[in-house]
Amino acid sequence: MRIKADELQLPWLRAKGLELNLGRVVREWEEEEGPTPMPDIASLREWDKKLLRRYKPFYLPFCDLCCLCTFGKCDLSRGKRGGCGIDMGGQLSRIVLLSCCIGASTHCGHARHMLDELIEKYGRDHPLDVGGENVYLEAPTIRLVTGIKPRTLGDLEDVLDYCETELVHLLSCTHTGQEGDNLDFESKVFHAGMIDHVVMEVADIAQISAYGFPKADPEAHLVELGMGVIDRSKPVILVIGHNVPPAIGVANYLARENLEDQVEVCGICCTAIDLTRYSRKAKIVGPISFQLRFVRSGVADVIMVDEQCIRADILREAQKVNAVLITTHYKNFQGLPDRTRDPVEGIVKDLVEGKLPGVAILDSEKAGEVAVRVAMQIAPRRRKMGLIPPEEKVMEEARRCTSCFSCVRACPNTLPIPQALAEAGKGDLKPLSELYEPCVGCGRCEQEGICPVGIKPHTLILGAHRLETAEERFKMRAGRGAIQDVEIRRVGQPIVMGEIPGVLALVGCSNFPGSWKEVARIAEEFARRKYILCTTGCSAMAIGMYRDENGQSLYETYPGVFDAGGIVNCGSCVANSHIAGAAIKIANIFAKRRLRSNYEEIADYIHNRVGAVGVAWGAYSQKASSIASGFWRLGVPVIVGPHGSKYRRALLGRKEDPEAWKVIDARTGKEVYVGPVPEHLFFMAETVEEAMVAIPKLCMRANDTARGRSMKLNHYIDLHRKLFGELPDDLHLFVRTAADIPVTMKDEVMAFLKEKGWKEFENPNPDPTLVPRLVRAKEG
Amino acid sequence: MKSGMFADIPVDVGVVYEGERIRKGDMHAELGGPDVPHKFELLRVRPSDQVEDGKVVVVGPELKDIPEGSKTPFAMLVEVSGKDLEEEMEGVFERRLHYFTNWVEGFMHLNQRNTIWCRVSKKTVQKGFTLKHLGMVIIRLYHSECPIIEKVQVTFYTDPAEVERLYPEAIKVYDARDARARGLKDEEVDVFYGCTLCQSFAPTHVCVITPQRYANCGAISWFDGRAASRIDPKGSIYEVKIGKVIDPLKGEWEGANESVKAKSLGAVQRVQLYTAFGYPHTSCGCFEAVAFYIPEVDGLGIVHRDFKGPAVNGVSFSTMADSTAGGRQVDGFHGLSFEYMRSPKFLQADGGWKRVVWIPKEAKERVKDFIPKEVVDKIPTEEEVKNIEELKAFLKEHNHPIVEPSEDLKKLGVKGLKGVEAEKAAEAPAEAAGGVPAEGVPVMAPTLTVGVPGAGGMEFEIILKNARIFAEKMIIRKAERKGKGEGK
Repeated sequence: MRIKADELQLPWLRAKGLELNLGRVVREWEEEEGPTPMPDIASLREWDKKLLRRYKPFYLPFCDLCCLCTFGKCDLSRGKRGGCGIDMGGQLSRIVLLSCCIGASTHCGHARHMLDELIEKYGRDHPLDVGGENVYLEAPTIRLVTGIKPRTLGDLEDVLDYCETELVHLLSCTHTGQEGDNLDFESKVFHAGMIDHVVMEVADIAQISAYGFPKADPEAHLVELGMGVIDRSKPVILVIGHNVPPAIGVANYLARENLEDQVEVCGICCTAIDLTRYSRKAKIVGPISFQLRFVRSGVADVIMVDEQCIRADILREAQKVNAVLITTHYKNFQGLPDRTRDPVEGIVKDLVEGKLPGVAILDSEKAGEVAVRVAMQIAPRRRKMGLIPPEEKVMEEARRCTSCFSCVRACPNTLPIPQALAEAGKGDLKPLSELYEPCVGCGRCEQEGICPVGIKPHTLILGAHRLETAEERFKMRAGRGAIQDVEIRRVGQPIVMGEIPGVLALVGCSNFPGSWKEVARIAEEFARRKYILCTTGCSAMAIGMYRDENGQSLYETYPGVFDAGGIVNCGSCVANSHIAGAAIKIANIFAKRRLRSNYEEIADYIHNRVGAVGVAWGAYSQKASSIASGFWRLGVPVIVGPHGSKYRRALLGRKEDPEAWKVIDARTGKEVYVGPVPEHLFFMAETVEEAMVAIPKLCMRANDTARGRSMKLNHYIDLHRKLFGELPDDLHLFVRTAADIPVTMKDEVMAFLKEKGWKEFENPNPDPTLVPRLVRAKEG
Repeated sequence: MKSGMFADIPVDVGVVYEGERIRKGDMHAELGGPDVPHKFELLRVRPSDQVEDGKVVVVGPELKDIPEGSKTPFAMLVEVSGKDLEEEMEGVFERRLHYFTNWVEGFMHLNQRNTIWCRVSKKTVQKGFTLKHLGMVIIRLYHSECPIIEKVQVTFYTDPAEVERLYPEAIKVYDARDARARGLKDEEVDVFYGCTLCQSFAPTHVCVITPQRYANCGAISWFDGRAASRIDPKGSIYEVKIGKVIDPLKGEWEGANESVKAKSLGAVQRVQLYTAFGYPHTSCGCFEAVAFYIPEVDGLGIVHRDFKGPAVNGVSFSTMADSTAGGRQVDGFHGLSFEYMRSPKFLQADGGWKRVVWIPKEAKERVKDFIPKEVVDKIPTEEEVKNIEELKAFLKEHNHPIVEPSEDLKKLGVKGLKGVEAEKAAEAPAEAAGGVPAEGVPVMAPTLTVGVPGAGGMEFEIILKNARIFAEKMIIRKAERKGKGEGK
């Protein structure tokens, strides 16, 4: 802002030749500032320690060695310390921190990139609007952490400035000879996670506001999903990644030139989700595990990538099927020449004539135009050249298998490939075809030197499944963004009365230990049980890629509302911030707790009251680890699948230790035993059944009303009985009074409790807190 | 895998089956429902000697004998006894039938009373499930959930003639029950009920439930409270001895005050049940609507949770809800249930419906029959007026009672629209027309003024010549907040 006045007269001021320059105008807001505006690494350490006392890190060394500096390699096994003095706990928590720094920086870089692009296009003063009248708390995490109430795109720059500073400090902590204590490393992990949630919120509310994505709309449109929905008769552009502006460049060009019906645009991973929030014509192929299989199908004429979770060999794979690759971010050049400043004509010509296998274009609109023009020109010539063999070829190849099992050893899911190949060799393709679902599509089984006779198992699986693949046609609800304040108000009463037993977030990537349908199975089971389901990213797609008994995708059967039995697709990875945001809003909406820079109090509220649990069944990335750690700091438990043990540590409660499960009753200031709720903060389930039993258990909280607890116990017991055939052995730890016992199970639960010598809890309904300053009792 | 209290029932019984839909193709038979003239469910409290605990009688054909795909008249009569039971709890216990029957795998129950609509699935009947079994389930669940029910017997009627014969009796019971419930006045009872269930999320909020004022959530009536407090005397719903009346008009009682004070740990000292001003009843967060004061017309607007878009004052439900939630008493903002809007006590100290000047159409439809005839057409909705200026014009044109308040309204301290205008005219015209507060804080508009620290009057002036001021940041904050809330 700039004011120039030759002459100015006010009652208290007279000025001549006044020049006033204001760098930035920050409007104060009504809420009083809390104790930790823009917290640094030290600010919330005490809160972290409280959580870490309850949920002790349990380290799972994925590797006994440290090779980060030239002292090493240092062997840290059996209590040994490295050359720098670090022990195994310190080293593993340091690696977790490194992973979370990578994850949070990736989202932060994404958010900065996005914001810069949007500000350039729409201006700093472009207003933020994530849900109109029904969303009063537009940026709960930003308010909570930074104390800023953002109104415009420009306001978000301040938020990112803070986050970038924190991330630099956090990363620096992983340098040799910095932190030595594993719990302090863990506290920093939480800090990185918290920052991650802030930057995710920045990225998503910026793009929702500027691009006009669905605004907290429970009835956001349905998107076509699956390999079978892509129209191969048209030129096809495939977008892969997370940062959507270049894909929007494609959609804009098609709309401008009236070509929307002539070119098919589809996507993989989060860019696909965000593109379908923008364009109703775009389609989704599937999660990241579909990258290799779809590229190799040859359907895509042009492949456009932005950033994150893109195969490092995408150029090689594109070349194999004569598809053109366009990279659009400096984070991912793929070795291609930067043609950003060249005229479109020249770039198109070079690509169409095959002079270059691909180009980098760091201008979204230009990249969009090039992609469309190239796709239209090369499509007739390519004729969808693919690499997927016909059935006879599959059988022929299968017969060459020597059953050496090298491919099994290379497979992350240890799939029974040789057995399936043996059957295929005999003419039965079914066992091989069935490997399609549990295959995560990494292609490790085909790498040079794995198979001694040169068989390509992944390719053969695709061949065996060819016909079914063409039938993959599903629906997914477009990412709706935030949860409305009004929706949260509506569910308050049913949550208190026990009608809604919890909130389940099904999030994360597609490194599933089995079929992706396991995620859909969890979703269906808990939607049926009236949990509120939220989902994002590749898990949101997995939920859609399944038909229920009515032949519908779950998004068609269950509504998109944040309510009992609703399945709420928030959007891409960065939309995970809305799930945490909903939990944060609960504290503000029902208890009127101040959000502004008041992290500890709100996290304490959420941890003790909000029965939410996250499941990242196929989590693989560093971003997934930082997203999870953001939930941990809020006290929200996260369950991961078996591959999650490679994150190197769990945060486990010790349910048998009564001291660990005491809270302070804010009404009296006295310590009260409340039982192990929630029992863990981060744990790995070996099987989907184990996860399904853990979900209702981890939704229990110290504030549960008797009705609420009895409903949560009902689902815990019912699932345990159905899946494991017996009552859960720890049931007595969760029954506080007889009123907690589900009415349909009273007899048997009572008998069980008697056997365990159970006694009623002394104070079953405290006003629970872990923070002494929040005690409301008067002195004396 | 069958064990526990329903081991002898051929199908599973559990909460997880609630909400299970049985489609026509999977249905063995429909019991009741829109296509048959007579159906009902009824629970009666009887003297102990008239109830044989555990008895189930089926009058008419059993499920397996009802032809597949048919629709049949149906009645369920549940008779209970217990020394602490009262006739007025019948409705509360009767409503449990909906849940109890729904919890049976393959049995669907919709609606209540004489509109029930049940279906039983083919699979469930094939497994050998009978109405006898259903009766056993119902009896066991009543015993399990409501220990004050000592004996239960159940009779099912599937013989159309029998259902038709008993139908008028059932209707009579419903009508009498409704008349009693509607007729019961707050002045006629000596106990109210308190509810602290929502303290699990809003630790200072306490609901006071009276015959004429439902809990704020709209889900718990005085009768529900009475039953719940008897079933679990240590629970979160408890009896409140109302004690001496302090103000009958505003709805303030000594006993209610004491109870609220104790249960909110002193956060709330007094509560007046029939007003939005002064010491209004607090709200947690899940109220169904908000009453809000509109200073320009001295009236109250109402906006409900499902209303999309701004209310007549330009502020949305979400924003106003934010001003009233969290167990606080906020003058001029009041969380409401729809049931309370139907009560004769509705904001009686503020003028009741005569004070209401705006309500969304959808909400108005829901309570229309309870708005006094003389004002119902004078209260505009979003279809008639969109802002305060239009509102004023509408009220004047339709001569809404707020324009020139009657004597009885004046006694309540109502100035009325003309009163406000007269005051405005008398005041200095310097004051800008009060716009809509951007942040939903009542009244005060965020005007930008530059205050000079320490400047009381205009005793000094600042003169700048050729000044260049560069500020990296300018922070705009409300003047009255100065000095408060210093962060780190």
